[in-house]
Amino acid sequence: MDERIWNIIVDSFWPLLRAGVAFTVPLTLISFALGLLLAVLTALARLSALWPLRQIAKFYVWIIRGTPLLVQLFVIFYGLPSLGVTLNPFPAAVIGFTLSVGAYGSEIVRAAILSIHAGQWEAAYSVGMTRMQALRRIILPQASRVSVPPLANSFISLVKDTSLAATITYTEMFRTAQQITATTYEPLVVYVEAGLIYLFFSSLLSALQNVLEKRLDRFSAR
Amino acid sequence: MIQVSGLHKSFGAQDVLKDVDLQIDPGKVLVIIGPSGSGKTTLLRCLNLLETPDGGCIQIGDISLSFGQGVKHKQSEILALRKKSGMVFQAYYLFPHMTALQNVMEAQVQVQKKSKAEARLRAEDLLDKVGLGDRKDFYPHQLSGGQQQRVGIARAMAVSPELLLFDEPTSALDPELVGEVLKVMKELAREGRTMVVVTHEMKFAAEVADRVVMMDDGKIIESGTPERVLAHPSSERARAFLNRIAQKDLI
Repeated sequence: MDERIWNIIVDSFWPLLRAGVAFTVPLTLISFALGLLLAVLTALARLSALWPLRQIAKFYVWIIRGTPLLVQLFVIFYGLPSLGVTLNPFPAAVIGFTLSVGAYGSEIVRAAILSIHAGQWEAAYSVGMTRMQALRRIILPQASRVSVPPLANSFISLVKDTSLAATITYTEMFRTAQQITATTYEPLVVYVEAGLIYLFFSSLLSALQNVLEKRLDRFSAR
Repeated sequence: MIQVSGLHKSFGAQDVLKDVDLQIDPGKVLVIIGPSGSGKTTLLRCLNLLETPDGGCIQIGDISLSFGQGVKHKQSEILALRKKSGMVFQAYYLFPHMTALQNVMEAQVQVQKKSKAEARLRAEDLLDKVGLGDRKDFYPHQLSGGQQQRVGIARAMAVSPELLLFDEPTSALDPELVGEVLKVMKELAREGRTMVVVTHEMKFAAEVADRVVMMDDGKIIESGTPERVLAHPSSERARAFLNRIAQKDLI
């Protein structure tokens, strides 16, 4: 291989990996954690007996699923300042991705809750539990097993979607790759290298999914 | 004293319970029989408020609730009545993510707020009682149907209800496993537990019941000693039902 190309690969590896570990990973983890919490709350709101709660949840999911993530990020980062709300790139990105994970994730969590046999609710009620106790102790632990594969999908999507934060000036891994390309004029090499690091992160998450599924499988007959 | 009066329940246009009156004496075993769709399971589920009656009154011990159009009860009232009885389900409905022991401990800790140590002692006692002391750390899927149902009985008894409800407890079991569950139920009857059992096991009804009630089309059509209801029913419909059952046993 051409020595110049090889040097570009080696020289850009650490800046890319550093941007990935220092910016892509925290953005992913924080957004996913908050998004998951939002997803559970939204799913519960959708399943609530209260009409207004259900409507608010439906409206939120409708808006977020129906508009491009990129547009949402632009509205939050470039649009909100017109209303006097100016956010730094990182909080703007966290808000955008959290809302996205919350909306898509809520449907996963809702489906998982609905997949648990009604007899489990009845058994919980029959021993005197309240709805909250039944949900927390009996339904959600079982629903969590059902929701691991689709939530892992969301998680892995999110790792890659964080590259959109480059467009709102957040210097994560993809934006770092753009900057390196601007000085080296080797887009093929640098972008493939960035892609491989994304692949590495995603693979770690897939492995994590397997571990989690094995753990949660201890009680099931599968 | 358990008293049900004028109980009414409909699902849509269909009346499933039509003004059912029932009295259950403490320490006695009441067996409810009848053709499928006669309302016997719905009656049982109303006693535990898994179904909310549309009308009538249920009294268990010192708690009495009336039902009717526009009557809404607080969750605390519903829970109070529900805690008076324990339910054993046809399909067991054990909590699959918990061991047998945890299944029996769960409500003691969550509902009765007992310490884990105290709940564990009682759970171990109850599992011993149903013959599963050596299976306490097994998950439900590692147990046979009969064993699962016996855990179900232990779970229902764990919170010390005044009344045990059995909804066709042996109907989902392989024939060779029915005996072990009926044996446990007979022991409970001997100890003087108040039990209401919906079943198709006529032999169990004849041997164990203090009183048998036959339902048909949402109404109680026969009520009395097992001898009277099973051997000398007064109504034509009751005789027809018992004949069908007897013929099935011959096949």
